[in-house]
Amino acid sequence: MLTLLIDFARRFARNRAALVGFVLVLAVIGVAVAAPWMFPRNPLRIVGRPEIWPFVSSRYPLGTDSLGRDIAAMIAYGARTTLLIGLCASLTATTIGISVGATAAYLGGWADELLMRFTELFQTIPNLIFVLTIVSILGQKLEYVTIAVGIVTWTPIARLTRAEFMSLRDREFVQACRAMGMGNLRIMFGEILPNSLPPVIVLSSLVIAGAVLFESAVSFLGLGDPNVSSWGQLIGDGRTLIRSSWYICAVPGLAIMLTVLALNLVGDGLNDALNPKLRDR
Amino acid sequence: MGAEIAEARTPILSIEQLEVSLFTRGGVLPAVDGLSLTVAAGETLAIVGESGCGKSLTALAIMRLLPEPPARIVGGAVRFMGRDLVSLSERQMQRVRGKDISMIFQDPMTSLNPVVTVGDQLIEAIRRHTDVSYKEANNRAVELLRQVRIPDAERRLGDFPHQMSGGMSQRVMIAMAIACGPKLLIADEPTTALDVTIQAQIIELMKELQASSGMGLIIITHDLGVVAEIADRVAVMYAGRKVEDAPVASLFERPVHRYTRGLLGATPSAHRRRGSRLVEIAGSVPALADLPAGCAFQNRCADVFDRCRVERPQLRPLLPHRTVACFAAEKELSRDAAVIGA
Repeated sequence: MLTLLIDFARRFARNRAALVGFVLVLAVIGVAVAAPWMFPRNPLRIVGRPEIWPFVSSRYPLGTDSLGRDIAAMIAYGARTTLLIGLCASLTATTIGISVGATAAYLGGWADELLMRFTELFQTIPNLIFVLTIVSILGQKLEYVTIAVGIVTWTPIARLTRAEFMSLRDREFVQACRAMGMGNLRIMFGEILPNSLPPVIVLSSLVIAGAVLFESAVSFLGLGDPNVSSWGQLIGDGRTLIRSSWYICAVPGLAIMLTVLALNLVGDGLNDALNPKLRDR
Repeated sequence: MGAEIAEARTPILSIEQLEVSLFTRGGVLPAVDGLSLTVAAGETLAIVGESGCGKSLTALAIMRLLPEPPARIVGGAVRFMGRDLVSLSERQMQRVRGKDISMIFQDPMTSLNPVVTVGDQLIEAIRRHTDVSYKEANNRAVELLRQVRIPDAERRLGDFPHQMSGGMSQRVMIAMAIACGPKLLIADEPTTALDVTIQAQIIELMKELQASSGMGLIIITHDLGVVAEIADRVAVMYAGRKVEDAPVASLFERPVHRYTRGLLGATPSAHRRRGSRLVEIAGSVPALADLPAGCAFQNRCADVFDRCRVERPQLRPLLPHRTVACFAAEKELSRDAAVIGA
């Protein structure tokens, strides 16, 4: 098992860009974890004069926004929100996607037809509008944003899982498992799923990046949770001052850009490391 | 060995008038048609025939693992230790599979889950049907690997299937199949994907395991060398029907059905005279969709006569312990009997 891990790490590290992405993601995670120690007080409280530019005051290294709140503190706490929503939404999407895709492929026939039409139905709905609708119906809370993002991003995972399952379903080892007396659920999740996971993991990591963007968009439009700090919200608040104090939008914008880029790079790296066809290249 | 001993025992498996049909767009095709077979404990039955004759479907039908759709059992019974497997629910069937009846497949390299270690797969097979702890199952797994002659068994438990050779993998498959002490083992072309020396070892191993456990064995093959090596009795299938059923020695000595003769004639052997050619069976198997009236083999048979074209030959006990479905054979044997009688 250990040698497998080392092997995996070596293949991952062969992709330099993925390594850079991984370091960036680690940094964001570090900031998110350390936020309560770096900024013990509520990040949304007003701390000083509004519109202090970055690198001017040593107390507020990233400056203050239009209300005089510490941007550095909001970025640090925003990293928590962003990562939490990204991870949970991706987990939600992956769970729904795998369940739907696996069931459709394994059962086949009318179950497959029904589930895939259902998936296509979701694909045709404009994503952002659907998220906004759910959030405005359920309420502006972090959980609801997470669920909403999960609900709009599961379709590609379902389709990928289905394709993987279809190619594995008729393999002889599945027949052998049935001949051993295993039930459908055991075969689906215990035997076929581990074989189909690598590409699904890659896609899930990319869904995290997508979820970060969705969260930002929702918060930018003012439909995010008003009680937690978030990068999108910060950009939304700062947009009225974009001509004079553009840094209020630029700082969180840069954070979003780097995080999404890093997550995509990690996704590519995972693809290289997990895809057996690219091994030993 | 042989039929005499086996016949004295009651069969553990008896298939009665099994009918499997393929429901295709073109219509309903009789893939297995009125097949009856018996296997006793400790007996080895070989089912022989060319591709598409229904031998693998028969095996899958016994296990109730037919690909549905298109295949489905439409008639007959599969009696195993007094129970009709056809009438069992899927859940009841899951308790039979792997425990009472096991199966091994043609290609060992693809029959093991590529992402699970050999040990875990074995332990899974053991714990599926027996209530033992992981540790006990682990010990039993080592024991099983030794039983199938895998050297360095403890270390091999941690290997992944791709780290093993084809012969090794087939040994692991056999170990998994016998893990719960089945009463019947079905081997679907177990040696086809292996090279010749390994084939012989695997056959030897299966013989040994059968002798020590007394399980019944059904071996499905188109390799008559394997049949001669391991079988007690042979059922020859053609186009979904059994055409000849005989003890192995008497079948090789005197094949009666014209198709069996063709099969034996088309098999290379060391005793064949130098320079003599292998005789192939002319023509090809009729498609299931347009089986002719009468005998399915009529278009390839040298001894075909009028009756073969209109009437379907039934299995008849023409010789001791043997049944044959062939009019030409009936005519020939009754003539022989007449000669002896006169």
